[in-house]
Amino acid sequence: MVSILRRLRRTKVRDYAYISARVRVMRRSLIPADEYRKLLNMEFNEIIRYLEETQYKKEIDELTHKYSGVRLLEYALNMNLCATYNKLVRISSGIPRALVTEYLRKWDVQNIKSIIRGKLFGFPDEEIKESFVGAGEYKYEDLVALLSRDTVEDVINALQGTPYHEILKEVGTKPLSEIEDELDKLYYTRLLDIRPESEDVRYLLEFIRMEVDLKNIKTILRLKVEDGTYDEIMKSIIPGGYQISVDEARKLANMSWDEVMRGLESYWFWDAISEKVKEGAPLSILEVYLDKYWCNTVISKSNHYPLSILPVLAYIILKKVETDNLRIIARGKLEGVPKEAIEEQLVIV
Amino acid sequence: MAIDVKPTRSELIKLKRRIKLSEKGYELLKMKRDGLIMEFSETLSMARGVLEKLRESYENAEQKISIAKAIDGTIMVRSAALAAKSEPEFELRSKNIMGVVVPVVKRKRVRKKLSEREYGIIGTTARIDEATSAYEELIDAILEAAEIETTLLRLLEEIERTKRRVNALEFKVIPEMKEAKKYIEFALQEMERDNIIRLKKIKAKAEA
Repeated sequence: MVSILRRLRRTKVRDYAYISARVRVMRRSLIPADEYRKLLNMEFNEIIRYLEETQYKKEIDELTHKYSGVRLLEYALNMNLCATYNKLVRISSGIPRALVTEYLRKWDVQNIKSIIRGKLFGFPDEEIKESFVGAGEYKYEDLVALLSRDTVEDVINALQGTPYHEILKEVGTKPLSEIEDELDKLYYTRLLDIRPESEDVRYLLEFIRMEVDLKNIKTILRLKVEDGTYDEIMKSIIPGGYQISVDEARKLANMSWDEVMRGLESYWFWDAISEKVKEGAPLSILEVYLDKYWCNTVISKSNHYPLSILPVLAYIILKKVETDNLRIIARGKLEGVPKEAIEEQLVIV
Repeated sequence: MAIDVKPTRSELIKLKRRIKLSEKGYELLKMKRDGLIMEFSETLSMARGVLEKLRESYENAEQKISIAKAIDGTIMVRSAALAAKSEPEFELRSKNIMGVVVPVVKRKRVRKKLSEREYGIIGTTARIDEATSAYEELIDAILEAAEIETTLLRLLEEIERTKRRVNALEFKVIPEMKEAKKYIEFALQEMERDNIIRLKKIKAKAEA
């Protein structure tokens, strides 16, 4: 897939026009912002009934005979997310398809992490399967086949020849947290490794680099709050950020918390969190505001460049945000979390 | 009369001494009982705060973990919990409250640093950090509640024991001793009167 991207290719405008138009239609099926207020006032069973009137109907109907409660919701949301992303790949062609496929490989990393963690900690296979989103190179059946291996070593051996194997063979000798971070870094470095030989790829790379910025700043803030050392921070920094490169990260890693806050004022995402930082909001809230800002940034960019990969990437992000929001509301309702506490965790754009 | 005594002067002297000692002990035990009750009331109002804090910590932890499960996934959250290999460390000492030995739980650092927790940072969010911190605070609250509940229980036991001793002294031991003292005094007076009459008779006979 990467070799296709590396080859010089004439950008086919019709490829982008078609997929952008399809994605514009698909976006209309996303839950509107004002509907979340209604969902916040519903009980869990009412939320399920509401979702049965939406694009989630198929998955809920399929699973309702076997699952109930939060497991039904989780599984249905994951299945729908997977089906939606696979549809995006199916309806796109040429360079857009290649770019989308590359971007969705993040789900391979996520699924492999779930399998390794699940096996190491003895989770039932059924529960691990429910977390699968087979939207990357490994589809649901591939993941189930991987999961069916007896031991973690068998799973790792089955991934021989893939880029993940080099990292995963350290399972047991390195902490699992380090291995997971390495897998995430591998995903981003592989993407950023693509040479920007055409405009469309440049859009993707800029998008990825900004996403890397957000990952890096969240890592730095989380570790700073916990008095993380310079080495601990730098171990988790993804190279290739838009503004938060490795060198920038080194500077931030050496600063105190207050110095970091002052240092952030020059970054592109500062407006998103400046007020909340002054209020002393907890990190999870800062993350919510960063995610909201990211969604709005991507939407704005996709409106500026409608004949590019950006509308598709915007939709991918908005779809994920929607499923996360639904999960937060449903779990929050089940656990009796106050409405205000649920609402402040939602990314509503 | 429960106390079996010989009606002699020496017994009377011994008994008087015992009564004095018992009355003194009774006063001291009453003071101890009252002091323990005061300590118990103070500890009880502290306990209300501690138990309220425990309830709030529990609710907060449950809420945080449900949000973390929604975003970071059940497998990540549950396995992060299972991966926590070390147990909370604490030092158990004791202190003395009016003769009652109560525990003092000296909590060592329960909080793990983010880098010590068993989950990758890049692929997770701050929600799982906050859930982990909330549960670590809950452990602190549980240890504090355990200390104060044990203190209350021990104080209560000691108050009961002291009350029983006070009541025993007030309604049984001292009254019985006083009864015995009355008996001895009466018996001695009787003997005195007997002696006087005997002497009068002897004198009358001697004069006759």
